[in-house]
Amino acid sequence: MVLDSHEFMTRMARRTNFTPEDRAILQASADWGLEIAPDMADAFYTYMGNDEEMNAILNESEGRIHRLRETFVEWFHEMFTGMDDWGTDYADRRWRIGLIHVRVGIGPQHVVPAMATVVNEVGQRLRSEGKSDELHDALSRICMIDLAFIEQAYLEISTAAVLKETGWTEKLFKRMIATGAAAST
Amino acid sequence: MAINLEKISAILQNFVSSTNDVQGAALVTPDGLPLAATLPGGMDEERVSAMSAAMLSLGERIGGELARGSIDRIYVEGNTGYGILTSCSEDAVFLVLASQAAKQGLLLLEIKRAVTELKTLLQ
Ligand code: HEM
Repeated sequence: MVLDSHEFMTRMARRTNFTPEDRAILQASADWGLEIAPDMADAFYTYMGNDEEMNAILNESEGRIHRLRETFVEWFHEMFTGMDDWGTDYADRRWRIGLIHVRVGIGPQHVVPAMATVVNEVGQRLRSEGKSDELHDALSRICMIDLAFIEQAYLEISTAAVLKETGWTEKLFKRMIATGAAAST
Repeated sequence: MAINLEKISAILQNFVSSTNDVQGAALVTPDGLPLAATLPGGMDEERVSAMSAAMLSLGERIGGELARGSIDRIYVEGNTGYGILTSCSEDAVFLVLASQAAKQGLLLLEIKRAVTELKTLLQ
């Protein structure tokens, strides 16, 4: 089971109602996005640094946190530019970010609160600078799409690993989850 | 040709009622769906089917990993009886439940017969 990242992007855009207007307003604010990105990175890593477990992951190897600050700024800016108008490049990049987190053992319990921090920080900044509700909504949507990618990667990769080792079909795996979940309630 | 489920059910029922010490049988798809089942009361057909398919598949993987060749059957031997899983073509897994009193050689022969019969219906 390998996710078609472009198809997933399209589905998430539809599901979150990420419209052409959202895209336009984000692109028009791309310079502002890049300008505030370092502050967002500060808030993001300060938040994560206050969590013992996440702090340990971040400082596991020499220079990791420094590298992460740079990749965070790029990631944040890409939400505004959309890279290739939120097309294949954007989707592939989001999928890759998801994969990297799964490999390092970072799951939903880490990523969801982290993304909430981003949404919250950006929200405060938008308000303090008197930015429009439309920009706020557009940013919230793209943040949720990006979050969905990381979450889905976690599920797909864990599932694919189990299927590979057991030879189970995807349908069988889903059935076991359903029967197992029904039995444990 | 559509699979004749009625006939499959009849074979299972006949197998269970006419084979000594057999307590139940089921035919399930590799996706874990029951095609037909005659199981003792209180057993959850859906769960048993999913677990049977999972077990056979896992057994085949273990067989490969441990270089045991292709797997003919998987035995689950408990202190009150047996569960025997046999691959029945690409499309189905045959589960048989038997009591401790069952004569293994005879049982395997009966299973072989039933599998041959079931295979013709699954083609
Ligand atoms: C909103 C959620 C998050 C976003 C948007 C994000 C973004 C990123 C990006 C863009 C990369 C670089 C990927 C690449 O190299 O291509 C990355 C890597 C990484 N992230 Fe995150 N991240 C998030 C949450 C977290 C959390 C909660 C942790 C937990 C401590 C974490 C730890 C890491 C680590 C350890 C790496 C790999 C660094 C390395 O290459 O050594 N991230 N992240």
